[in-house]
Amino acid sequence: MSDFADFWAGRDLWREPLIAGVLAGGILGYIGVFVVLKRMVFVSAALSEISGVGVAFAFWLGAVLGIDPHRHGTVPLLLEPTWFSLVFACLAAALFSTRPGHRKLAPETIVGLGYIISSALVLAILNSPRIVQEAHAVGDILFGNAVTVPRRQIEALAIAALGAVAAHALFFKELLFVSYDPETAMVQGVGVIRYELLLNLATAMVISVATRAVGALPVFAFSVIPAAAALMLTDRMRVTIALAVVFGVVSAAVGYYVSWVAQLPTGASMVVVASAFLLPGLVKILPRTSV
Amino acid sequence: MELIRLERAVIGYRTPLLPPIDLAVRAGSTLGVLGPNGAGKTALLKSMLGLLPLLGGRRMLPLGRPPRVGYVPQRDRLDMSWPLSVLDVVLMGRAPRVGPVRRYTARDRKAACDALSEIGVGDLASRPLYALSGGQHQKVLVARALAADPELLVLDEPTSAMDPAAERVLLDLVARLKSAHNLSVVLVTHQLTAIPGFATDVALVDRERGLFEVGPAEQMLDPQKLGRLYGREVRVAKVGDTVAIVIGEGMPN
Repeated sequence: MSDFADFWAGRDLWREPLIAGVLAGGILGYIGVFVVLKRMVFVSAALSEISGVGVAFAFWLGAVLGIDPHRHGTVPLLLEPTWFSLVFACLAAALFSTRPGHRKLAPETIVGLGYIISSALVLAILNSPRIVQEAHAVGDILFGNAVTVPRRQIEALAIAALGAVAAHALFFKELLFVSYDPETAMVQGVGVIRYELLLNLATAMVISVATRAVGALPVFAFSVIPAAAALMLTDRMRVTIALAVVFGVVSAAVGYYVSWVAQLPTGASMVVVASAFLLPGLVKILPRTSV
Repeated sequence: MELIRLERAVIGYRTPLLPPIDLAVRAGSTLGVLGPNGAGKTALLKSMLGLLPLLGGRRMLPLGRPPRVGYVPQRDRLDMSWPLSVLDVVLMGRAPRVGPVRRYTARDRKAACDALSEIGVGDLASRPLYALSGGQHQKVLVARALAADPELLVLDEPTSAMDPAAERVLLDLVARLKSAHNLSVVLVTHQLTAIPGFATDVALVDRERGLFEVGPAEQMLDPQKLGRLYGREVRVAKVGDTVAIVIGEGMPN
């Protein structure tokens, strides 16, 4: 049986993870254009990590309250890790949108602090004796697991993606203005803090849900690589966005296929395939690069 | 008629930067805000525009609303690598007029193209941002400010990276726009050469010396006042119709 025939025969196994990967690749490819242009690539890594704290905290809270997260139907809706992941990421996004007004506390310092502290918190919670049994579930989120994705997570990802696309479609010119030149936007009466908050919340919502669905590594990669690859190829905003979405979708689909036939880790395969899209841009810009 | 008035205004981020100030931006005037680097000029500008809350005193809006502002930021603060065309950038000036949710219309595009043509760079509309020279970029930013259909044009250090000839070309352009559109202008600068022959009123600002003085340009371009501002000997001389300012090596008198 050929590799593709083998892959096709197993479609009942890969259909949902593939849909999740493709959805994540497409929406993160789009959002990544703003992430890369605003020079805030570390924000997506921090938000992924902070989402992980939310999940770990949900498990820890469940353990404290004596709720077994593995017993179907016993976990109250409000203790769902997805909610905690979403709330933690959105709170962090709101924090990242504030302007501290102090030159010693630059925005990237706040993002870095968020990343470091949340990484430490996840490790601390994972090693708590109360949630030893759940450690592997939190680990999936941190290190990536696009192999099995429950249908509920695909639905959550689709809703988050729709919400982000709707926000961008309705307020695209304002989001572009405040991202490119916040100073002038503020002087001209465009609500910079409001729109930056909207942009960061949309980003946080997608990253939080996508991290839970496909893992932190591909989420970080999809929010940086497709956009970076597209930006090297074109100088038009709309073309950049279209290319980044296509690169994200193709990276997820081809990466999943490669991981299946070569029996490689799924998230890592997606990232390697996405990286290949950087090559045309590098070939294009390298001759122009000088020391 | 005044567009903005500050009364006994105390400006600063947490602590006052300057003594309480009285300042008005009059319709049709050109106010030059002059001071060395780090003098508090930007804080003063932000306070005038209502972006930085006053620590004391009042900000009055005699029109009953904030004036429509066209803003030209410092060019080097903007990232030229964004995948935007010149028209994309100039259209941003129309965003507040269009309002949220709505898209730019053909009228907005025409206004943006007209602004570019008026500045003399109408042929650049489709050019990518990264392909502009420094001077072209500066003109595009002026066109964006003009596309906002402003009553008040604010320029923050617009000539800081320019040679004297380019500085004069830009200031002449702004003077022409001011006259054609009946604008008021606020120019913030640390460059003495930008003020003579351009500003009708001048505010001298320096937080280090706790200095704030404002008045008609002919009174403020005084060797002693400028000497106090810069901590150096300053000579002011008339050369034909223009005023030349020279900073000497000695201390102020």
